Amino acid sequence: MRRRDYLSDPVKHMKLSAPLTVDQLMQQFANSGSFGAGRLATACNIYESMLRDKDCTIFLAVSGAVVPAGLRTLISDLVRKRLIDVLVCTGASMVHDAIEAVGGRHYKGSWVQDDRELYKYHIFRIFDVLVPEEAYVRLDYRLSEIYGQIAEERKGEALSSREFAWELGKRLLDENSILRAAYEADVPVFIPAVRDSEFGFIHWLHSSQKNVKAVLNVDAFKEVPEICGICSQSPKNGMIVLGGGVPRNSVQSSVLASKKGLDYAVVVTMDRPETGGLSGSTLQETISWGKMKGEADNVMVIGDIMVVFPVMAASVMERLGAEYVREPVMKKFWRSTK
Amino acid sequence: MKSKAELERFCGNCDSHNSYNYPTQVFCSTRHWQSQDPIVPTLWHCDQWNQVSQECYCVREAKKAQKHP
Repeated sequence: MRRRDYLSDPVKHMKLSAPLTVDQLMQQFANSGSFGAGRLATACNIYESMLRDKDCTIFLAVSGAVVPAGLRTLISDLVRKRLIDVLVCTGASMVHDAIEAVGGRHYKGSWVQDDRELYKYHIFRIFDVLVPEEAYVRLDYRLSEIYGQIAEERKGEALSSREFAWELGKRLLDENSILRAAYEADVPVFIPAVRDSEFGFIHWLHSSQKNVKAVLNVDAFKEVPEICGICSQSPKNGMIVLGGGVPRNSVQSSVLASKKGLDYAVVVTMDRPETGGLSGSTLQETISWGKMKGEADNVMVIGDIMVVFPVMAASVMERLGAEYVREPVMKKFWRSTK
Repeated sequence: MKSKAELERFCGNCDSHNSYNYPTQVFCSTRHWQSQDPIVPTLWHCDQWNQVSQECYCVREAKKAQKHP
């Protein structure tokens, strides 16, 4: 590059005046183009590009406790509006969704609390979010019944985590539920580590009952051809990661296995790359594996998901407008098996 | 922690209890495994009672609730 090429785009200082919409603020971030502001503005542009690209299937990978912390309705709205096409998440994310679907709540607390006293009151703490034990217990009790119903209906057939998630969504009648929204909107939900959550312990509760008639069977491997098939048939694939962990790895490995490579990627995390763990690994690193194309639009936003993602979603929704309706390319090649 | 001999026996200090309708009702995992109704009063107990490993406030709070419903 020539010297003048490095100096072609000056920083424009932010100028804020009321009233100011979220996307107007994002334009100011783009004008700055620096540090977190620049990365967040780029993330919005990439998400908008994914949505406007008629060939792109959008995977949202969710880990961490963002559902109990307040992103439940936002994610279920994105699912219903088809502003994402495939949800890949931890079991715990959907456990917390189901907790609220059966009437439980999460509460605002503090990260400085007497945890020994919380234990004595049967209250669990997730940083500064509190969950009463009865929220879990009521879920356990209700879902152990639902597991029994599913097992009897499916007559011993092994379900993939996607089929399992839809069977739950079919029976959870809360319209704000992510599982319910996914079931109604034909959005597949993959839970690759489904056993590593309350869903696994509910299975123990259900299957160890003395008079159990049929035991629910979930096959961890059955979803692999399902998710790889989506990546393979989609002309392009985009990924938005909230956190990292198993969901991010599952999406990246599926695009790799289907020999596609990501065309778009946004990762929101606070993890670091130096440990070699996946959650903090840079997107550049994924190019070496073939998980992301070298020319893909991509950005990693280092920040709190609870702040970054709602701002990103609000900015992009504002650009699209209230009347915007997306026609997912996935509908051309993927049919639900309800 | 009190010894097993000196502890008054209640579902609320049994190791099978989980909070269900705090503080008056608990979920008993033993009864659930046995396909019996698992929702029992905190201040009840049965012959399968086994001391909880870490004490909680269930019995204390259930007694308060009983006095001042």
